[in-house]
Amino acid sequence: MNVTQLADQLRHDHIFMKDVTRWEVLPARRARTAPFPSCLDPRLKPALERRGIHELYIHQVQSLEATARGEDVTVVTPTASGKTMCYNLPVLSAILKNEDARALYLFPTKALSADQVSELYDMIEEMGVDIKTYTYDGDTPAAARKAVRQAGHIVVTNPDMLHSGILPHHTKWVKLFENLQYIVIDEIHTYRGVFGSNLANVLRRLLRLCEFYGSHPQFILCSATIANPKELAETLIGRPVTLVDENGAPMGEKHFVFYNPPVVNRQLGIRKGSIPITRSISGMLLKNGIQAITFARSRLTVEVLTKYLKDLVRDPLGNAGRVRGYRGGYLPGERREIERGLRNGQVDAVVSTNALELGIDIGALDACVICGYPGTIASAWQQAGRAGRRQGTSIVFFIASSAAIDQYIVNHPDYLLKKSPENALLNPDNLYVLLSHFKCAAFELPFADGDSFGNSPGTGELLEYLSEQGILHEADGKYHWSAENFPASEISLRSAAEENFIIIDITDPANHRVVGEMDRFTAPMLLHENAIYMHEGRQFQVEKLDFDACKAFIRSVDVGYYTDADLNISLSLLDVEREEPFAGTAQAGLGEIKVTALVTMFKKIRFDTHETLGFGHVRLPETDMHTTAMWWTLPDELADRIAGDRLKNGMMGIANLLRIVCPLYLMCAPQDVAVVYQVRSPITDKPTVIIYDNCPGGIGLAHKAFSMRTLLLEKALQVAEDCPCEQGCPSCVGPVGEIGEDGKKTAVRLLKELLK
Amino acid sequence: MNLLDKLRAVGGSEVKKDRPAEVYTDCRHFAVYRDKEEFPGAYDLTAGTLRLMSDRELPDGLDPRRILYLDTETTGLGGSGTVAFLVGMGYLTDNGFEVHQFLMRDYPEEPFLLKHVAAGLRKFDVLCTFNGTTFDVPLLESRLLMNRMDRSCLDLPHLDLLHMCRRLWKLRLGRCNLGRLEEVILGKPRTDDLPGSEVPARYFSYLKTKQISLLDDVLRHNAQDIASLCVLLNHMADLYRHPEKIRFSEDVYSMGRALERNHHTEHARKCYRLARRGRMGGSAGAALAMSYRRSGERERAAEVWREMVREKKGGILPYVELAKYEEHVRRDLSAALEWTEKAMIMVSEPSLREGPTVQEQKNELQYRRQRLLRKLKEREETWDS
Repeated sequence: MNVTQLADQLRHDHIFMKDVTRWEVLPARRARTAPFPSCLDPRLKPALERRGIHELYIHQVQSLEATARGEDVTVVTPTASGKTMCYNLPVLSAILKNEDARALYLFPTKALSADQVSELYDMIEEMGVDIKTYTYDGDTPAAARKAVRQAGHIVVTNPDMLHSGILPHHTKWVKLFENLQYIVIDEIHTYRGVFGSNLANVLRRLLRLCEFYGSHPQFILCSATIANPKELAETLIGRPVTLVDENGAPMGEKHFVFYNPPVVNRQLGIRKGSIPITRSISGMLLKNGIQAITFARSRLTVEVLTKYLKDLVRDPLGNAGRVRGYRGGYLPGERREIERGLRNGQVDAVVSTNALELGIDIGALDACVICGYPGTIASAWQQAGRAGRRQGTSIVFFIASSAAIDQYIVNHPDYLLKKSPENALLNPDNLYVLLSHFKCAAFELPFADGDSFGNSPGTGELLEYLSEQGILHEADGKYHWSAENFPASEISLRSAAEENFIIIDITDPANHRVVGEMDRFTAPMLLHENAIYMHEGRQFQVEKLDFDACKAFIRSVDVGYYTDADLNISLSLLDVEREEPFAGTAQAGLGEIKVTALVTMFKKIRFDTHETLGFGHVRLPETDMHTTAMWWTLPDELADRIAGDRLKNGMMGIANLLRIVCPLYLMCAPQDVAVVYQVRSPITDKPTVIIYDNCPGGIGLAHKAFSMRTLLLEKALQVAEDCPCEQGCPSCVGPVGEIGEDGKKTAVRLLKELLK
Repeated sequence: MNLLDKLRAVGGSEVKKDRPAEVYTDCRHFAVYRDKEEFPGAYDLTAGTLRLMSDRELPDGLDPRRILYLDTETTGLGGSGTVAFLVGMGYLTDNGFEVHQFLMRDYPEEPFLLKHVAAGLRKFDVLCTFNGTTFDVPLLESRLLMNRMDRSCLDLPHLDLLHMCRRLWKLRLGRCNLGRLEEVILGKPRTDDLPGSEVPARYFSYLKTKQISLLDDVLRHNAQDIASLCVLLNHMADLYRHPEKIRFSEDVYSMGRALERNHHTEHARKCYRLARRGRMGGSAGAALAMSYRRSGERERAAEVWREMVREKKGGILPYVELAKYEEHVRRDLSAALEWTEKAMIMVSEPSLREGPTVQEQKNELQYRRQRLLRKLKEREETWDS
């Protein structure tokens, strides 16, 4: 059965359609094109024409023209709209005109860069010119590195390699730095939060070195659809950009099906799980030979679903191999093999985390199943874009989980289908991040009195502080690096945590092997002793977690359950930045806090039924994080009028509502922001609801929440009042079993008092 | 909280600040003089001998007094933030060996130091270092660049003793750092020397206190390294001139390989012949025979192979090579078959050779034998008809 037939059949299936909240057909769209602009080097035209390209899409032309005017450009493009032309054409033109010209390409992942470069090679080969394009990353052999440094016209790398492999050794890259004309950064919407804050500082360092070598590179940036691409780009590079966002590329017809699993317990408002539903929809696609990708939110869900789908087709011929799992933590060779399998059709179904969301070339698939809202609209669309490219019908299923945010989306599909309201936030001046990169910058090139570091604040204070610490040595108004360490090796750009945990399989005593890695903040949750760790659908039990050495030792097991750990959080106040009165004696505050996280226990959960089988204790050290927070304290007289448990339940209800509202209106992923409530808060000594940035140093979410403090409560109240449930459900204040019978009433009353 | 206080809260607050700065007009210079007698043979070194040891382009009639021995002491292991705070340069004079060391007493003295180094380099024809190709020279290049100074002073022929020593002694010694070479090769172990890894920390303590005595060890270590370079180079030159003096079969054999690499075939063969008596007899014999084969002297190569068979050296290799020789050069198929079958008997002896290559060797021999038998049969048929 093909996609059109399948769609027809499903639309006549009344039982299936009963739970579909929206079946949106996005019509095919025709291309809008314009002739080659005059800024294009004449040698490029015949090469393009031989590849069947006689005109360009309008967004390509607009971006080429803006680049030719010398502007920094940001192009907003959906999947498969020919965005690589927007940067390849100006770069190739520049090098054809001046063979000394150089360009630097940055992609967020290694895999992605390998793919985009192959397209560039094709163009260069087509023209038969001597333009050298090299990938410079951890996999580049030492023998080839010298050639890359000396002769590479286009150097393709990732932020991590730029940070630790290129900038600290800039004197070996004289040619590149002296002649750098273009800096291309693709997928800039992925540079949010900590990663983005890090990259912004890496770029400050890069531009500082360019200035030293006398080059003035221009930026060409590409982003998926978000609400603030211009703001993001400008924060990232610290200068104004020209936005090009009129998409001229064609698209095939696409069915977008919103599916809300049926309610199984009406009183408690409990729905059927999204995983069993995904299992049957992905299974149906697999049985019908429709090549599909299934996206799951967590690594754990990926593994569980992979196992289910493999079981469905498992036979002595090895057909289980047609189903593959894919996520961060798999080793590169394994990933490349899976990508190849998808392109050549040997793999029919892949279950992935967001790792396959970006432009890694896996060919065009027919269908996509999104199990649970991936957290941002940009991600949802990138995942959906994996099904169907320029022509042909494709189908996307969105399966809502019982999480409130999923319920919001599935019941308000327009939030996803209409214009994106999402903002990508980053904070280049996050003090942790800034300090780390400032050290790197000082190592790379000494600062002098009065120097600036991009548009960062407080260069003078940073220099004074680092001199105080004996890390910099001041002499004659210049600040020299005077420590033995290599500062770039002390930062990981991807997480605020410094070191990753290595996962070692010790099943075979003669052959211990590393099977993956995990960041420091997640490790206590998933790699505590006795945790069931899953990899490619296989189960392992963690035998030992060596926390100091960052190593987890696992052994292959076969048990009928998986594990899920509980995280305990406690907060303490470091500094109050602002405090404002709010509705009578209530207050809203903004400041810095310390968050202490501790995993204390875990649950064993049976496969299939998902019932809890038992508990276990976890003994691991606490992890600390300094971050920014904002909070509301309740008016004393109101708190006095409401008895203990009712107050607690009401506050829990408000916190649950804010967890739904915050990601939507602060425009971030749910995991980026934490909401907690404290009946007697150590921060304010009063009943308090707190929102904090869930990463060290913060990325600006708490500040934004503070500036929206009234709106957030209004929206929370609206969600509670619009919800048809009587006493609470998972889609608003939380289930009755959690917040008690009067929880919803109290939450609504408290919110109304606060908003008076 | 202001920013400085926040920084102190985030990263710790113990104050470790240095003393204030002064005025800078030049870097500090030290000179060390040594007697001629410490450098035996050094005045007799010629470009001819050096060409045996290195493939670098060297000026004809090179005066050994125009070789500059250089070593740097640095603040770290590399990257643009690493600085050479001390550069020592040594050379022979008519009266002995002089080492001139330039020390930056603080960072603002770096341009002065580099100026002295550049001027020093320009006066000489050849540079000699230990691991300078990967460390000292790129580092100085980087420092000159950072100070926007001309880097062409570094463009002179460069003898990197590390690579030259490795070619000669790696087979016997494994690791070839300068300390080990001084001890094992020159027979002069260093006592109470400052380990290189402690040098950066010493300099940083000096920067904080400005007590120059903290650097005494570093200066001594540096001057000693430079003198050792000259001694080592000349010791090596002596061995190249007189390979018969070498006591270790491994070293003679290694020298042969090094000479062959630099296209000194006759010298290389002399070493191989010398090495054939010792532990490396098999390898040396094979290398000698291969060298004859490459220059087309097939009969001489065969003679070596036959000697190796008599001496029972080199395993099956001489048998296989003799089989090839008989088959392709002398076209004596029966003799070739005989050598092949002898080799097959050798590999079938279980104790003689082990490992996964044995099966491969057997297959190759079997294949060779079949081909020879087929050719013999064809020839018989030709004669019959």
